[in-house]
Amino acid sequence: MDFYFTEEQKILRETARDFLSSHCPSSLVLEMEKDEKGYTPELWRKMAELGWMALVIPEEYEGVGGDFLDLVVMLEEMGRACLPGPFFSTVIGSFGIIESASQHQMREYLPKVAAGDLKLTLAHTEPGYTRYDPFLVEVTASAEGDDYLIKGTKLFVSDAQVADCMICVARTKGEKYSSDGISLFIIDTKSEGIKARAIKTIAGDKQYEVLFDNVRVTGENLLGELHRGGKYLERVLQKAIVGKCAEMLGGAQKVLEMASAYAKEREQFGKQIGSFQAVQHHCANMLMDVEGSRYITYKTAWMLGKGIPCAKEVAAAKAWVGDSFKRVVGLGHQVLGATGYIVEHDMPIYSRRAKTAEMVYGDSNYCRQVVARELGL
Amino acid sequence: MDFGYTEEEERFRERLAEFLDENLTEEIARQNWEDKGVGAEARTFSGKLAANGFLGMSWPKEYGGQGQAPTYDFILLDELGKRWGCHVPLDVGYTMVGPTILRRGREEMKNYFLPRIIRGEIEFCLGYSEPNAGSDLASMQMRATEEQDCYVISGQKTFNTEAHYSEYHWLAARTDFGSGMPKHKGISLFIVDMDSPGITVRPLWTMSGERTNEVYYDEVKVPKDRLVGEKNKGFYYMMEALGSERNQVFVPARLFPVLEDLIAYAKETEFMGKRLSEDPLIRDKIAQAAIELEVARVLADHSRWLEYNHLPMNYEPEVTKVFTSELEQRLVDSAMQILGLYGPLEEESNWAVLRGRIAWYYLHSFMTTIGAGTSEIGRSVIAQRGLGLPRSY
Repeated sequence: MDFYFTEEQKILRETARDFLSSHCPSSLVLEMEKDEKGYTPELWRKMAELGWMALVIPEEYEGVGGDFLDLVVMLEEMGRACLPGPFFSTVIGSFGIIESASQHQMREYLPKVAAGDLKLTLAHTEPGYTRYDPFLVEVTASAEGDDYLIKGTKLFVSDAQVADCMICVARTKGEKYSSDGISLFIIDTKSEGIKARAIKTIAGDKQYEVLFDNVRVTGENLLGELHRGGKYLERVLQKAIVGKCAEMLGGAQKVLEMASAYAKEREQFGKQIGSFQAVQHHCANMLMDVEGSRYITYKTAWMLGKGIPCAKEVAAAKAWVGDSFKRVVGLGHQVLGATGYIVEHDMPIYSRRAKTAEMVYGDSNYCRQVVARELGL
Repeated sequence: MDFGYTEEEERFRERLAEFLDENLTEEIARQNWEDKGVGAEARTFSGKLAANGFLGMSWPKEYGGQGQAPTYDFILLDELGKRWGCHVPLDVGYTMVGPTILRRGREEMKNYFLPRIIRGEIEFCLGYSEPNAGSDLASMQMRATEEQDCYVISGQKTFNTEAHYSEYHWLAARTDFGSGMPKHKGISLFIVDMDSPGITVRPLWTMSGERTNEVYYDEVKVPKDRLVGEKNKGFYYMMEALGSERNQVFVPARLFPVLEDLIAYAKETEFMGKRLSEDPLIRDKIAQAAIELEVARVLADHSRWLEYNHLPMNYEPEVTKVFTSELEQRLVDSAMQILGLYGPLEEESNWAVLRGRIAWYYLHSFMTTIGAGTSEIGRSVIAQRGLGLPRSY
């Protein structure tokens, strides 16, 4: 047992925090919420120069070959800074390739991703997601000779407008809720028949509706085995979930810092409000939620990195961190009072984002059902 | 980072598990977890644990330990907890007093007490609270007056669980009566023989059937070498011992049997032709409890890892304690809801389910957010030490 980060991880964290605090102030975050692209190519380029997109790419494909925990350290800092842009989507897309693709496909795509020249996203969820089940897939890919025709609508697709390629989850056979008969395709977003429309959210993130109108792809675009995409998807989503937990953890830590700093500085009744137990106990509750989120995230990331089966732990982490982040932003608002309700304040950025993070990849209710199943219920 | 155990540690766990499955009887577990008082059976078991090399793995060799990694003691407490064993039978000595003696005691004190703690032979009871000093411990009034060859101690302690069967009292008393100085700077810690003339122990029965005690001191003479560390530094040592207590008594592993019982109950109990385990509401409650236990486990691992590696412990044991104790209340409340009308049945009733243990835990759960410091004091400590907020009391 050991709770120390490696020297490399410490340096990674410091570098990320320094870089993001100077290059990604909250003014940029707010500006990018209104920007159509949602990111600046200059910032993307600088991140690529730091090797961030290469972090999880294996060394044989010109990446850094970092551990999953390294990525978690990085994502925690990005969550703290609310980094706008397609980094997270690209990393999840990379996992889509790494988990499923042939060596030939990896050679084609991964070095470009590592260099920052190829942005990705995962096109998974659909209009049918009134509740969540990862195997609900109604977008179809029907074979036509050596080609496939993709048809249907994907919804809540992050960064679709700026991604160069999408990892599209499509049904190639079977019932619409079955894990069997799902296949993954990597598709150029400029392909004929793809239409993406932005959908606005309170988080100001870039989510899209993506229409596939008989988009023709070849067998070269199929990732891994036909019909077996469900198992790849499961592994990709586990990493996406823990990555999202890391982002939420970083955000929650920042909210806690804002609230406790304000509690020390703001005076009422001639005293710092942080000396009142009602306020202190709000802050203590936030700290407890942050600590729990921290170590459950690290532990699950460690398990994923080691390849230890952890379906229960991943679902537990998402349920806990999602619920915690929600409580932390609620208490953050309470401590900051009216000042934290103003649009220029940083606080609303976090409370708006906490809600989309809570819902993505399965909310707490869904995750608890996964945990129940894993407990043998 | 590494959240796992080494191969040797896993082998130790297997050996221990085998031993416990054979030796940890219902009777011993009850003497332990119900806190009715450790009797002959649990004492014998304690000696056997030691004789088989399960006690003291993580303690220094010069005092009879094995000098191994701290994780061995984590495994010991976890495996006991998983089997309703709750903690080692003589746990105040092993998990609170021992570590504090190790950090703060003089050499002869270490040599006198530690080997016997590691052999599982002696137990201590905590002597902190007084009728007028609960959350505000520093205002304690018990007086220890220094005389030529001893301290003479008089006063009253309350809620001293284990006082009726321990060999020693781990006693905090006032040694400096000067006015104008901070209250916590005049307190010292002593180890007192419980059979010293002048000590009277009277039972206080709690709502969950545990026995705790009032302890009266009437001019009790305590040799000077029983002063722990330095005079007037006792409050700090007491805080350290409380850190150990929070880390090692509020071990989430002891709640796992409750979860396992609930899962088994939900799988085998029917209502309207369906098993309870098929009811989404019940699945949700059990899953939430399991999630919280996962979180508690990793919080507890972090905090005891800090302690055993002699790293600064700030607010972490308090987080573990507040979280685990409140989790116990939520867990037991969920369990009671799942059991419904059967929940409150006592063990002796014909229709009792899960041996009445949920009902017992319900009664017990009111104590957990009070003993070893209330949740309210805990939260203020977390806010003040963990976040640097100003003092509120």
